Amino acid sequence: MVKGMVADIQRASIHDGPGLRTTVFLKGCPLRCLWCHNPECISFNRETLYYPDKCIHCGRCEEGCFAGARVVCGAEMTPEEVMQQLLLDRDYYQNGGGVTLSGGEPMAQPEFAFALLDLLKNENIHTAAETSLYLYSDEVMKKLDLLMADLKIWDDETHKAYTGVSNKTIKENFIRADELGVPIIVRTPVVPGIEQGIPDISEFAKGLKHSVKYELLPYHPLGVTKQIALGEKPMRFDIPSREKMKELSKYAYIR
Amino acid sequence: MLTYADRLAEMRRTKIRHTLEKKKQNGYTDLDDFGTVPISEGYCVEPWYNSENGSFYGYEGMCENFCRVISAHEPYIDPMEMLCGRWRDMLVNYRGDLHYMPDWLKENAKKWDFLGKGATNLWSKRWDESRFPYDDLKPWQEKYNITTGIDGDAHFACDYRIGFELGFGGLLKKIRHYRTVNPDKTDFYDAEERVVLAIQDFIQRHIDRISEMIPAETRPEIKENLETMMETCRAVKNDPPATFRQVCQWTAFFNCASRIYTRDGAGFQMDELLWPYYRKDVEDGVLDDETAKFLIADLLLIDPHYYQVSGVDENDRDRTNHLSYLILEAADSINIACNLTVRVHENCDKEFLKKAVYYLFKNKNAWPRFCNDKALCEGYMRNGADKKTARERIALGCNWMCVPGKEFPMNDLVKINIAKVMEQALLDMKQEKKRSTARLFQLYNQHLKKAVEVTAAGINLHLDHAWEVTPELVMNLMMHNTIERGEDISQCAELFTVGVDGAGLAVVADSFGALETRIEREKLLSWDKMYEQLEEDFSDKRIRAMMQSAPRYCQGGTVSDEWAKRLTESFVSAIRGQEMPNGRKLLPGWFSWSRTIEYGSVVGATPNGRKAGTPISHGANPNPGFRRDGAVTAQSNGIASVQCGFGNTAPLQLEFDPKITMEEGGVDLVVNLIKTHFKQGGTLININILDGEKLMEAHKDPELYPDLVVRVTGFTAYFASLSPEFRQLVVDRFLSGM
Repeated sequence: MVKGMVADIQRASIHDGPGLRTTVFLKGCPLRCLWCHNPECISFNRETLYYPDKCIHCGRCEEGCFAGARVVCGAEMTPEEVMQQLLLDRDYYQNGGGVTLSGGEPMAQPEFAFALLDLLKNENIHTAAETSLYLYSDEVMKKLDLLMADLKIWDDETHKAYTGVSNKTIKENFIRADELGVPIIVRTPVVPGIEQGIPDISEFAKGLKHSVKYELLPYHPLGVTKQIALGEKPMRFDIPSREKMKELSKYAYIR
Repeated sequence: MLTYADRLAEMRRTKIRHTLEKKKQNGYTDLDDFGTVPISEGYCVEPWYNSENGSFYGYEGMCENFCRVISAHEPYIDPMEMLCGRWRDMLVNYRGDLHYMPDWLKENAKKWDFLGKGATNLWSKRWDESRFPYDDLKPWQEKYNITTGIDGDAHFACDYRIGFELGFGGLLKKIRHYRTVNPDKTDFYDAEERVVLAIQDFIQRHIDRISEMIPAETRPEIKENLETMMETCRAVKNDPPATFRQVCQWTAFFNCASRIYTRDGAGFQMDELLWPYYRKDVEDGVLDDETAKFLIADLLLIDPHYYQVSGVDENDRDRTNHLSYLILEAADSINIACNLTVRVHENCDKEFLKKAVYYLFKNKNAWPRFCNDKALCEGYMRNGADKKTARERIALGCNWMCVPGKEFPMNDLVKINIAKVMEQALLDMKQEKKRSTARLFQLYNQHLKKAVEVTAAGINLHLDHAWEVTPELVMNLMMHNTIERGEDISQCAELFTVGVDGAGLAVVADSFGALETRIEREKLLSWDKMYEQLEEDFSDKRIRAMMQSAPRYCQGGTVSDEWAKRLTESFVSAIRGQEMPNGRKLLPGWFSWSRTIEYGSVVGATPNGRKAGTPISHGANPNPGFRRDGAVTAQSNGIASVQCGFGNTAPLQLEFDPKITMEEGGVDLVVNLIKTHFKQGGTLININILDGEKLMEAHKDPELYPDLVVRVTGFTAYFASLSPEFRQLVVDRFLSGM
């Protein structure tokens, strides 16, 4: 039976698509964005995050930590097990709400994503995914009511430098998804100090037949604490100013 | 020329100034704002005591002291307002109740050295123990930390239509007429008559004061306002109110009087009862919507009484009208502590519901709140009431509903601290060899049964003698049967459906859940070790963390969620199984009011990792930190699953910063949340949509935001007036909902 590596299931989420949603964060991502805000979702394996300020120094870590100092991230779950959690808020998914697959990269676990989305569609629940579109699966796409995909940087060399991968495949996958007719929200995290080519991305997004919106999301440093908890060297960027976001807002649009 | 907007802004500034002054005069108050104004300089009342224990009771005692307190009240007239009258002081302050006594009175009260002596948080001198002792009950009440309701007052609702129809003159006539019908009830009628005369005198003093103010007023529009105010007062002193302004002024005066008497805060179905006056005046061309809104805003400013708006009639027809909208707009224009409840039904005006939620977002002042017609109506009908009566039972109190004029529910007055009940069960099981959660639950139920018996005995004592101790002389004026029979409402109500709330649900559910998980399923802990840790108040941090991190109530589908449901079933069955005399019925609910600190202070460490003496959980809410994501949906599901089902509430109390604006769809999200919670059977939602940054800043320095209002439990209060402990509780709940 297919199992997924699930990092977290967040209920009553309001920033991962329309309405009230439950977001399933899957572990594992092929990109290495330096500003990643979910660094615990990069590795495909189970990991332990360490928060020293919560440690009660009982010295019995191996028997299990109850204080919240060592938090295990990653659980192997079947689609049915995840579904049990998702159905808890079923009554709230009306008016456009539903379930969002996020991560990490949900497309990196295509069989699991497909099986879960299939269960959701059988229950008539609205489905969405947040993806970098570096990976692609027609089967998964067809099960989505909404695709939220990032195009983070326009120039390929810069893209490689900040995310570790080329954006050629990403752009191609945007076209493939567009041809399938899935409504797409194109998004760019705004990270000061990087030449992201937002006007070009905006033009590209407009060229997609089924793009309903181009969103600019200000970088936030929530990932820094988690990087530290993972024992990694934290990467810090500036938070874009309100003025900067306002200036860029001319490139964003809703259709 | 001053516009309405200028005047409202000035009135709001005055309100803020009053809040700060009151804090200086009263000290911290973890209570409703009540709409009081600061006491005036030199204010002093010499109470008349007719009992040796240093209190006053009965028709004569209550009447005499009411007359003294209301006559000591200076008239309150703010020329910016259209209505006049305010209250400052209440009878209970002179009856040795430590819970209420403001700082300014403590100074005065030194000369009555008996006042407060022997009184505790559990027993005040509001009850005449010399005549109606209950020493046999006290050890049990203490054992289960029962808030007994013995000595309680108000907490039912008047039928304002009676007063609107008769006016004070008509009420006097009615009293005088029935005095001849029931010649053996002279004491009752004497007291009622004096009460009405004292209210009329209170009005007359306002008339006199306004007439003194008029000549000195130079602003023509304000002079005209004062003249109309005076005419209005003259009209309502004796005659029934005939215009919209008069009915608002009449209400303001009555509310001042009933607040002074017993802090009664129950209003009425505002859009329905004021509608005929509004319509007539508009048709007569003497009222426009802007003036109507100003008058409503003024009435809401005078006193944060509980009013219901919207809902459906007995035939399920929507009763939202144009006035319902004006009421929301009026509340918005003054935007102060406000206790409006919107009754939600599937046939209700959807635009209206949206607008109500819009104001929650716009002002972030915790109004309005929402109750669910379906669950409340169907629940109350299970007591044998017909649909019409059940529909009449409207939201008029902190957590409670009442049939105006007909019901004597003692709502919110009677509570059993089930954390204390569990503590007794734990103590019993300690002596036994075979320990298990099943056995603990058995013992818990035995203790609960006893606690309910003791509670019922207290309620019956109160109902049998309340008329001799604290007759409701003011509210009796607008109740059915009272004046007609010469009896206090506690004797002659049509409905004695008495509310008994359980407090501490989440603490107990999480405790059972933690015991089952860690001891029975995972075998990580022995019962002996657990008992040792309870005694040592969790000297072992690891064990405490283990119990705290066990699955909790409101996480969704957990062992503690199951325990919460089981505890609800057991509570309902204990309450409903209790036999009561004289057609009285007990109605179960989950509500702690704002007593979570007080209740927690008498409960030792509990198996959910809660330290001894710390607050218990609030109402039906989960313990703070119940989920990492604080999902409101999870909380809503959990609370919907523990409804008691007989017309009383287990409120969903939400504090959150939605981090989403109205424009981003925030209103639709909250509307969806309300509808879904109600579809699942929820009864009442109190929402604080807060600005997180502002709350945290106000927590550091409350005086920075004297206008910040929070809904503490069912009632709203100015954050700056709350004690530091209480502010911390609100902040903790808020952080948990982030």
